[in-house]
Amino acid sequence: MFKYYRFLFLLLVYLVVLQAYAQPVADSVTTIHLKAIAGLQYNMVRFQVKPGARVKLILTNTDDMSHNLLITRPGAREAVVNAALKLGEQGAKLNFIPSSPQILWSIPVLSPEETKAITFTAPKVQGAYPYVCTYPGHGFIMYGAMYVSEAALPPLQNDLNIPPTRRTDNILATPGTSPENVHAAHAAKPAHPYELEAPFLYRVFMPDASPAAIAVSLPQKLSYCWDAGTCRLRYAWQGGFLDNSDSWKGKGDSYGIVLGQIFYRDKTQYPLRLNNPENIPVVAFKGYQLQDRYPEFRYTLNGTMVYELIKPKTDGTGLIRTFRIPGNRQKIWLVTDPADGVQYASTAGKWINGTLKLSARQARHFSITMTPKEGVKL
Amino acid sequence: MKSGWFFLLLFLAGWLTGAVPVKPKPKPDTIPAYRVESIPMPDNLVSETGALEFLPNGELVAGFSRGEIMIYNPQTKQWRVFAHGLHDPLGILVVSNSEILVMQRPELTRVKDTDGDGQADLYETVTDDFGISGNFHEFNYGPVKDKQGNLFIALNTASPNGGIRPEVRGKLDSTMLGKYGRQMFSLVPYRGWIMKLTPAGKLSPYASGFRSPNGLVLDGEGNLLVTDNQGDWVGTSPLYEVQEGKFYGHPAGLVWQQGRAGQNPYEIPIAELDKARVRAAVLFPHNIMANSVTQPVFDNTGGKFGPFGGQLLVGEMNQERIVRVMLERVNGTLQGACTPFLDGQGLRKGNNRLAFAPDGSLWVGQSDHGWAGDEGIQRIVFTGQPLLDIYQMNLTSTGFDLTFTQPLEAATASNPDNYKFKHYFYQYQAKYGSDQFDVQNIPVTAVKVSADRKRVSLTLGTLKPGYIYELRLGSLASSTGQVLTNKTICYTLNQLKN
Repeated sequence: MFKYYRFLFLLLVYLVVLQAYAQPVADSVTTIHLKAIAGLQYNMVRFQVKPGARVKLILTNTDDMSHNLLITRPGAREAVVNAALKLGEQGAKLNFIPSSPQILWSIPVLSPEETKAITFTAPKVQGAYPYVCTYPGHGFIMYGAMYVSEAALPPLQNDLNIPPTRRTDNILATPGTSPENVHAAHAAKPAHPYELEAPFLYRVFMPDASPAAIAVSLPQKLSYCWDAGTCRLRYAWQGGFLDNSDSWKGKGDSYGIVLGQIFYRDKTQYPLRLNNPENIPVVAFKGYQLQDRYPEFRYTLNGTMVYELIKPKTDGTGLIRTFRIPGNRQKIWLVTDPADGVQYASTAGKWINGTLKLSARQARHFSITMTPKEGVKL
Repeated sequence: MKSGWFFLLLFLAGWLTGAVPVKPKPKPDTIPAYRVESIPMPDNLVSETGALEFLPNGELVAGFSRGEIMIYNPQTKQWRVFAHGLHDPLGILVVSNSEILVMQRPELTRVKDTDGDGQADLYETVTDDFGISGNFHEFNYGPVKDKQGNLFIALNTASPNGGIRPEVRGKLDSTMLGKYGRQMFSLVPYRGWIMKLTPAGKLSPYASGFRSPNGLVLDGEGNLLVTDNQGDWVGTSPLYEVQEGKFYGHPAGLVWQQGRAGQNPYEIPIAELDKARVRAAVLFPHNIMANSVTQPVFDNTGGKFGPFGGQLLVGEMNQERIVRVMLERVNGTLQGACTPFLDGQGLRKGNNRLAFAPDGSLWVGQSDHGWAGDEGIQRIVFTGQPLLDIYQMNLTSTGFDLTFTQPLEAATASNPDNYKFKHYFYQYQAKYGSDQFDVQNIPVTAVKVSADRKRVSLTLGTLKPGYIYELRLGSLASSTGQVLTNKTICYTLNQLKN
C-alpha cells in the first residue's frame, strides 16, 4: 500500500517537474498552458522560459469565478494588485488592469470556461516575473512566477516567488508519507491549539462511507470510520490515523486519507436486525456522548434507541464493540460477512453461521470482539 | 467659511500683537469614531472563523474550519477549547454558558458540557433531515431562532467545480445530473433552500432560490433576512426578506419544489423564473459595495456602538470593509440603501462572522477558507467621537431624503453639484454575475436643506423601479468643520412612493 503511494508521489513530482520545465517546441515558441483553478490559484505556480524566447501563454479559467492574468516586472506584484484595487467602480470596465509601466503583458478577465492566449517575447533581463490575478481580493494569494533564466529553479519549498501554501503542496497533499513521518510532521507543527491524544475524533468526508462520516482515533494505533449517515461501523484500520491536509484546504472535493492498513469492512446490508433476521431496520442518527473521551454513538433502529461504544482490545489486536439497548423487548440478530476480515467472539448470544442471535434480555447489554484474520485482503 | 474668517482674525491678531499663535485645537475628526483592535489568537489555531457568538457570561465562543469550538474570555484574554472534531462549523446559536447549537456539514448539533468540566461531552443531533452529496460547496448556515422557538437554517447549493460522492445522504434526485453545465446544482434535498425547524423537531422546506446564502438574521419583528452571493443567477450580491413558500431566484433548488419533481429547473423558461422570483430588498453593487457578503447583524446596542442603532451591518469577504444597510418599508415591501460602514482603518478582509459583545463592541471573525479573505478575529469599538456620515436614505415621491448624523455646512449642502446620481440594473441570467445595464446619470433638479441642516431633500429627474440608484457625494462637511469621508451610497429601488 505504501509502496503504491510512494510511486504516486514520485509520479506527481515528475509531472510537476515536467510542467515546470516547459521546453520550446519545434517552431521555437515556448507554449505554456495555465489554468485558473478552484481555490484562487493557478494550476502552475511557476514556469521557466529562456531570455528573449518567444512565449505563447494560454490561460483557461476552469474555476467558478472570474480571473485575469497580469505579468509584471520583478517585484512589482503587490504594487500592481493595490493599483488594481484602487480602480474601484472603473475596475470591471478595465478588466482590473491598472495603467502602469510595471505591467508587461495581460490577459483580461475570463469568465468560467473561457480561454485566451497571448504571445510575447520574454525579457532579455533574467529574473522572476510575477503573474497575478488582479480581480479584487484575488491578487494577494493568486499568483505565480515566470522564471526568465537558464539556471535551475530554487527548490519549491524555498521559492519566495510563489504563494506560501503552494511551497509545501506536493509534500502535504500527497498520501505518500508514512504514518511515522506524518506524526513527526504534526509534532513539528501541530494542527490545533491543543494536543490530541487518542481517543479523539473528526467529523470529516471519508472514502467508502456516506458524507456524514466520523473518523475515530483509538489508542494502540487503531482507528475506525463510523458512518452517521447509515448508523454503522464501516471499516477499521491499524497503523496511522488520518491525513486531513487535503480536507482542510477548503475548496474542491476531498477526503480524509486513511494512513494504515484496513483490517475490517462491514459488507452486510446492515448488521443489526430486530425481531426478524431478514428485516433491514430504518436508522436515525442521534449523536454521541464522550465517555473518557470515547464516543458512545446513539441511534435508533425502527425507533428503538441503541448505544454503541468501540474500544481497542486490551492487547491492541482488534476492537471491542459494546452495545446497549436499554429496556429492549425484541430479539436481536447481528449479521456478519465471512469476508469482512475479522473473527468474532461475543459476551452473550449464540453464533449460527456467522450470525449472532441474542434474546431480548441478552441484547440489552452485550459486546462483540473483532480480531483481524491473517492474510485477508480488503 | 466661518472657520476661515476665524483663522484669518487669529492670524491678524497674532501678527498685530507679535504673540505666538495659539496652537489650534485638533479637529474633532482627527480622532476616528471607531477603533479596530485585533484579538490575539491561540498558537497553532488556523483562525478561519466560521462561527462567532457571545455566551450569557460575556465570553466569546467561536468555531473554526478545522472543527474547533474555542471560548475566549475578554477580561483574562485567555482562550480555551470547548469542543473539537466538528465538520466545518459555520454557525452557532447559544443556549447557555455550557450549551450551544452548532451548524456543521452533516447536521445541526447540540454541543453540551454535561459534567461541568468546561468541555463538551454531549453531541446530540438536533436535525440531519437534509441531504449531503459530499460536494465541497454544500455549506450549511444558521441557525437563527424566532420568538416562537423555530430555527432557520440555510443549505448551500453544490458547485460544478466539484462532483458528488458515490454514496450520498438523503434521496438522490438525478434530474439535473449532467445538465447543470457551469451552474450550481441541487441533487439532494433541499440544497438551495432555507429550512425551518419547529420546536417539536420537524424540519421542513421554507423558501427556495438560494445559491450561497451565507448570512441569516431576524429583525425585531420576526422578519427573516438572508444574504446571498454573486454568481450564476445572482447578478450582484443581494439581501432578501424571506417569506415562506417564496422563490428567490436561483433555480437549482426548484427540483425539490412540490409539483416540479422530475423537471430540470434549468429548462424552465427564464421569463417564468423571473416572474416568480422575489426581488432583493437591497443589492450590493459588485466591486463598488461588496463582492461576497456574509452575516448581517442588527445594531441593538442602544447607542453603545454609535449613531446607527437599529441598522444592519453586513460582513464582506473581499474588501477590508463592513457594509451598513438602511431599510425602509415602501408599499409593504422592504427596500433600502447600503453604504460602506468601516473601510480599512485596520480592519482586515474576510469578514465572515459578526457578533455584538455585551459592551457594545462589534466582533468580526475572518476567514480565507478557500476564497479571498484573512484570518483571525477583530473587535470594532465606538470611541464616542463625533462622526459625520449618512444616517438614513429614504425614498420620497420625487427623489430621496438624506439624513446626516450632524448638521451640515449650509452652502455645500445646498449645492446640487455635490449629489451625483446614476442608475443601473443587473441582469437576471444564468451567466456568472452581471454587468451593469442601462447606466445613466440622473440629474438632481432641486436640493432642499432642512432647518436643522441634518436632512437634505433631493429631487431627481426620473425615478424608475427595478434600478439601483448610486449616489456619489461631493465635499460635504458638518457645521463644525468635520468632512464627510464616506461618499458612496446605493439605494435599491423596487417600489415607488406614491
